[in-house]
Amino acid sequence: MRPPNPKGHLRAVLFGRSQSLLCLIVFLSALHASRAQAENSASAVPSKGDALVEASIGDASRLLPILASDSSSGEIVGLVFNGLLKYNERLEIVGDLAQNWQVTDSGLTLTFSLRPDVRWHDGKPLNAQDVRFTYERLIDPAVATPFSSAYELVDSFEVLDERTVRVRYREPFAPALESWMMGIIPQHLLAGEDLNTTGFLRHPIGTGPYRFKRWKSGELIELTANEDYFEHTPYISRYLYRIIPDQATLFLELLTGNIDLAGLSPLQYDRQTDSLYLRQHYRKFRYPSFGFAYVGYNLQDPRFSDILVRRAFELAIDKQAIVDGVLYGLGKVATGPYPQESWAYDPQVQIKGRNPQQAQQLLAEAGWADRDGDGIVEKDGKPFQFTLLTNQGNEVRRQAAELIQRHLKEIGVDVKIRILEWSSFVHEFIDKRRFEAVLLAWSLSRDPDLYDIFHSSKTKTGEYNFVSYNNPEVDRLLVEGRKTFDQESRRAIYHRIHRILAEEQPYTFLYVADALPILHGRFEGVVPAPIGIAYNLIDWHVPPAKHRYRSIQKSESRNQKSEIR
Amino acid sequence: MQFNPKASLEARAHMEKLLGLDQPVTVQYVNWLRRLIRFDFDRSFRDGRLVTEILWERFPVTLAINVLTLGFTFLFAIPLGVLAAVKPKGLFDRATTFLVFVGYSIPGFWLALLGITFFGVHLRVLPVSGLHALDYEVLPWIGRLGDLLWHLILPVGVMTFISLAGLSRYVRSSMVNVLRQDYIRTAYAKGLKPWRIWFCHGLRNALLPIVTIVGLSLPDLIAGSVVMETVFSLPGMGRLFYDAVMARDQNVVMALVTIGAFLTLIGNLLADLAYAWADPRIRVGESQR
Repeated sequence: MRPPNPKGHLRAVLFGRSQSLLCLIVFLSALHASRAQAENSASAVPSKGDALVEASIGDASRLLPILASDSSSGEIVGLVFNGLLKYNERLEIVGDLAQNWQVTDSGLTLTFSLRPDVRWHDGKPLNAQDVRFTYERLIDPAVATPFSSAYELVDSFEVLDERTVRVRYREPFAPALESWMMGIIPQHLLAGEDLNTTGFLRHPIGTGPYRFKRWKSGELIELTANEDYFEHTPYISRYLYRIIPDQATLFLELLTGNIDLAGLSPLQYDRQTDSLYLRQHYRKFRYPSFGFAYVGYNLQDPRFSDILVRRAFELAIDKQAIVDGVLYGLGKVATGPYPQESWAYDPQVQIKGRNPQQAQQLLAEAGWADRDGDGIVEKDGKPFQFTLLTNQGNEVRRQAAELIQRHLKEIGVDVKIRILEWSSFVHEFIDKRRFEAVLLAWSLSRDPDLYDIFHSSKTKTGEYNFVSYNNPEVDRLLVEGRKTFDQESRRAIYHRIHRILAEEQPYTFLYVADALPILHGRFEGVVPAPIGIAYNLIDWHVPPAKHRYRSIQKSESRNQKSEIR
Repeated sequence: MQFNPKASLEARAHMEKLLGLDQPVTVQYVNWLRRLIRFDFDRSFRDGRLVTEILWERFPVTLAINVLTLGFTFLFAIPLGVLAAVKPKGLFDRATTFLVFVGYSIPGFWLALLGITFFGVHLRVLPVSGLHALDYEVLPWIGRLGDLLWHLILPVGVMTFISLAGLSRYVRSSMVNVLRQDYIRTAYAKGLKPWRIWFCHGLRNALLPIVTIVGLSLPDLIAGSVVMETVFSLPGMGRLFYDAVMARDQNVVMALVTIGAFLTLIGNLLADLAYAWADPRIRVGESQR
């Protein structure tokens, strides 16, 4: 675990100029280090040019931050727009468009001061009215945004001057900081437009390091470097997002070097990327994703409401075997809802090894024993049989379900697996509570708040505590965690939640899978960090001799010249 | 696929209301019919664009691929069928039968991947996937056309090979019957060149069942193959339909199904008209005279 970092604290006044200066120094020295590296190989100053071609299975849908709910749209929007705040590479909250910000009135008031040097891609300066406009659209009932709930606790939003806004909350709400990472949208271009259908959705104009250039549906999205970006011009001149819906085709494109960046499956990472060509030309990366896979039990079912049964299952299911067999070791066994790298993860929670004997004892204590010798335990004459549901189209989950079936068979529990199409799974089985156990995964944001998943009030149809977990202490801690801004105090709260969940096992927490990107080797300045690799995309560069997309660059500048004339 | 716990129940109910999904199905259906009269298919749930706009974007890709495929299929299937019918159970007949059934039986996606691996990855003579090169935009028009055709060789080739079997078998069986007719023997007796007998005298009478196939394949022209468009990353109608079904993009699915139904009707009509052209006995109006 990392030691607590004092910069992560959010006290009354934070990130004044001295600290941004510190940041700058850190940044410059990092830049210096990467330059020193570059000097050894090719040139001193990172050269501009070339292109980065990323491949994705799915197309984007709406390139507007407040409507972008799928991962492809999110990725493009992240390059074209900026939020007020962002996570840095160590997952600490830092300013993005906000030069500094203050949390006052024990968390009831947030004040943001904008950077003075930010311009929209069309040249207009950014100002506080844009932030107000973004907020008003987020809570506008006519805008079909899925993100409105994060702003429900906002009491008032004021523009103090050109560059300052103040948000007051009805009660302290720590995840609010994360909600201000939402990309800010331009008022001067969107005022009076119907945001659900405006043409802006396909031609976004933001403040980010890359400008939108073109989008050919189902084929590619092209961005170009923003020469006026307030940090510095990105060295990679073009960013191309190619949509390749078939994983096998995507892999073949990789083998021909047509793709620079893509995500691999564990099987590809471990077994299929060892060819000489790929080893010479590509680099593979690996870091934990935020999210976890679990078996969730319907706690209204008397068999699963018995804590002894759930503990027995935890001991019977060999999580390490799942990580090794299904993820090819490219993940970590989970003991709770947080990855080991998170500050909310309590390292004192023991990883329980597999122990079928003890599991059988626990089952026997709960009244389940094999009395008729058929290998299946019974209670009151009923054999322990249940159906584990999981969704279609996810090979990793299907295989994990099969391993769980085998492990539970060894302690005399008969598991049937049923694989369902996603939409009917959610609407017919989860929402209607017609399930005994499910194998699913949660993808989470970096803030450790789990109110929606484990608070006992969130059990209505369509809400996410569908296992019906109810623990008054967890309820109290979840509420407290949301109201506390001090990270040290929050750490204690979430450690406690982690311990209780590990103890009570409303889910059997299975694993945290790794993200497995592969990147072409010509890119320099790539520094893997806890948040991943793409956070410093603007610092990536390619030595001129290795530029791959030279010809396009030339012909493009020729085109631009002719346009200017 | 995963849940996003940040989307609250209220937000979801609110979005359902905006999309009109909170109404009873019957009301939704009547609303849809009302719009249909004006050829208004409303907007996609996914990206908020007009469905007609999306269709116009995808339509040319699939149409081009399918017209080319259909053309090449006819180009190869008719001579293959005719020549096979000349000597049924002869060496040529057996060889083509074997070949076309291999094509018919091979799973399309697998053949496509083999083609990509061989021509795209090993030989590097054809592109792996997609419809355009990355620098397509800056090419002159002749370069653009060449680039497009270059990208279409593999998908059209694979699809043609797969669809050869059906058509060439129809042509063959139809021709075998025709070539047994007396007038063919007469033609031989007149001393006409054999290819003239087969292709001019025989084929014309063997065309009838083929006309039916052409008529019925009209809806296929815009339907697009989900598998091929996915494997080759082509932005066509097949992928649009599949993605729309998976994303529950109701308006897009309804529009595609409706258009498919219309085209099937039109295809049947055109086939009937073509019968009359190919076979005078079917011309109802004239027989009454």
